[in-house]
Amino acid sequence: MAHAAAAQEKLFALREQIARLEGRSLPAMAAAKMENFAARSGGEEKLSFDIAALDDALSGGLPLDCITEIRSGSFSDAGAATGFSLSLVGLMKARKAATGPMLWIADGFTAGEMGIPYAGGIRQFGIDSRTIFHASPRRLEDALWLAEGALESKAFIATILEVHANPKSFGLAESRRLSLRAKAAGRPLFLLRHAGKEEASSASVRLLVEPAPALERPLPDGSMLGGSIGHPVFNITLEKSRNPAPLSFRLEWNLHDRQFHLARDRGKSSFHKLPAHLGASLSVSADRQDRAKALGDVVAFERAS
Amino acid sequence: MRLVAIDEVARTRSLKRGQGLAEARAMYPDIDVFDEDERADFALLEAIADWCDRYTPLVALDGKDGLFLDITGCTHLFGGEDAMLRDILARLFQMGFDVRGSISSTPGLSSAISRFGHGGVIAREGMASALGALPVHALRLDEKTVASLLKLGLKRVANLMSMPRAPLARRFGAQLLMRLDQALGTNEEAISPRRPVAPLSAERRLGEPIQTEEDILGMTAEIASSLKLRLENRGAGGKVFELVLFRVDGRVFRISAGASRPLRDPKRISGLFSERLNAIHDDLDAGFGFELLRLNVLQHDVFDALQADFSGEEGRETSLADFIDRVSARFGAGCLQVYQHQQSHIPERAEIFLPAIAELERQPQCSENLQFLPRADRPLRLLRSPEPVEAFAALVPDGPPQQFRWRHVMHIVTRAEGPERISPEWWIDDENAKERDYFRLESELGRLFWVFRLGRYGDDPPPTWRIHGVFA
Repeated sequence: MAHAAAAQEKLFALREQIARLEGRSLPAMAAAKMENFAARSGGEEKLSFDIAALDDALSGGLPLDCITEIRSGSFSDAGAATGFSLSLVGLMKARKAATGPMLWIADGFTAGEMGIPYAGGIRQFGIDSRTIFHASPRRLEDALWLAEGALESKAFIATILEVHANPKSFGLAESRRLSLRAKAAGRPLFLLRHAGKEEASSASVRLLVEPAPALERPLPDGSMLGGSIGHPVFNITLEKSRNPAPLSFRLEWNLHDRQFHLARDRGKSSFHKLPAHLGASLSVSADRQDRAKALGDVVAFERAS
Repeated sequence: MRLVAIDEVARTRSLKRGQGLAEARAMYPDIDVFDEDERADFALLEAIADWCDRYTPLVALDGKDGLFLDITGCTHLFGGEDAMLRDILARLFQMGFDVRGSISSTPGLSSAISRFGHGGVIAREGMASALGALPVHALRLDEKTVASLLKLGLKRVANLMSMPRAPLARRFGAQLLMRLDQALGTNEEAISPRRPVAPLSAERRLGEPIQTEEDILGMTAEIASSLKLRLENRGAGGKVFELVLFRVDGRVFRISAGASRPLRDPKRISGLFSERLNAIHDDLDAGFGFELLRLNVLQHDVFDALQADFSGEEGRETSLADFIDRVSARFGAGCLQVYQHQQSHIPERAEIFLPAIAELERQPQCSENLQFLPRADRPLRLLRSPEPVEAFAALVPDGPPQQFRWRHVMHIVTRAEGPERISPEWWIDDENAKERDYFRLESELGRLFWVFRLGRYGDDPPPTWRIHGVFA
């Protein structure tokens, strides 16, 4: 009898452990038991996008105590991927009223290929550049050490770890380790993978980011300024989440409100043409004859188009 | 070629330093001769000087083959002057060096006795007689003066001491009397120590040498806890620490580590060195172990004591400082950096990186003057240096290109914003540096580029196009 009870207990513990590994909510009894040794204080924190469809797909929002992978298909999309990961931090700051520094762990190869994050642009993105710590480790092992140390110290509200492609030395075991650290610390780790393929990892959410044409700049009267380039727009595909079907969204990040909107299609109404006056015109040739006069009379016809 | 050093056998065969090589070879055709390696000699002397740090922090070099140790106030730690001298000479002898030494009140006399006398400790009253018995070479004079002294029959220092000073000064210059006075202590002579003396330091001598990293770190924490009280008395915390490890065979390792905020806590101090030891793992060869450990505080600063709260949780401030210290100790100060805005319109000069370890203290106070920030859009990633692009069908004279080729890929521009003109800084760049007209260009796929035209149409050479960054 006692033997059966012990086995039952063991089974229960294992089931509980599996549930915790998978990040699922535990049964009520198990949850009550968890209270005793739960290190986390605030329960599961989620970052809501305020976009119903997206939040539903993420069952409430982006979990903030685990790895979120942000992937771009090629290096040319590095700008969009960088922008999206920074906008997540910006959203966190705006939504959770979280203050504190963030850590950017740069990848040397990406820095050489697509440059380094620029403070001027980051500031305009809605994040105070003075709160950003920029680490430039030489090797991937060092970068992993830095990420782990940063999560462990709980000093940063968010950590962005940049890698390129799918390095061998950052496999399932390493990502599992980081994921556990993030879970224990209750801090998010954004894994920014440039020019990488889909790969099995411990990230609870993986997003593919692609750039999309920006909307035009809004004018005070609600119309759009034709030919202008407004807030950044991202094409987001949920590649890995609780939701089985891969979903795509087109999100616009509003730099001023620090908020995501669903980007509408561009209206056709906005007129698009080159500026009427192109600045200084070419100087008239001084020492040669004037250009040939057009033949015939010039009649003021209606414009064809 | 001349002999600069000779061994014991050669000395018994009446060879001398400074003798011509040809002459020596003529006397003894079978001698072995090696070229002098000044750098190696100097390195050896430095290593011995490092080793001598165990006796006093004030160690200075004396020429190519001597060391000065200022042992003022140190002798009682080693059982008196006699015992100390014997200890130094015996230990160096066991390492295989033939060393002579003496202790006296002046560096000049010690040097003279060691090189030309019989060594030992010279009492204050015996200084004149000890110096008098030595040849005039002992006074550290230049060769010309020594030669002319010898020519006049002034062979011993005693001969000089008994002569009137004024004629000596007239005949041989001020240097002779200065050296004489320095040796006798009437003229002060300062030695120049190789390293500055640490404001605070503590050490442990170990009966049994230690080898493992854990032992070293444990010992470091113990030494740090003995330093803690002294730091508290000063109201200070250490910012730069140095751990000096004396290996049994005489090799000395110095490991320094910095902290972003003044530190006192022994655990955190040893934590700093734990990262340092990790970083230099391969360079630190423990051999048969370390017998003496010393912890120096090279720099300290005012320590703002914080009242601990009841929750016992460490604040974010301390954990951030701790993280920065650990990273800087492990990868160097340049690894973790913060942005700093500079007053410049040139994008690559406007934002620079500074080491976080130095800036953490200063950061909260400085508030950036926001009116100097650019109003126009700046890219999210800035290329290390602008890369040339081929632009096609640009609108002349100051419109954007309609398509451009960057890294062999053609991008077709659908929308453009600009230009934003940034003039060169003539006080840094050349006077003829060209101005840049920046455009934001959106490609068909929605990628946003920051491209500029360098120069103007109509100039010679014609303008070129560069890409400088990407937007989100």
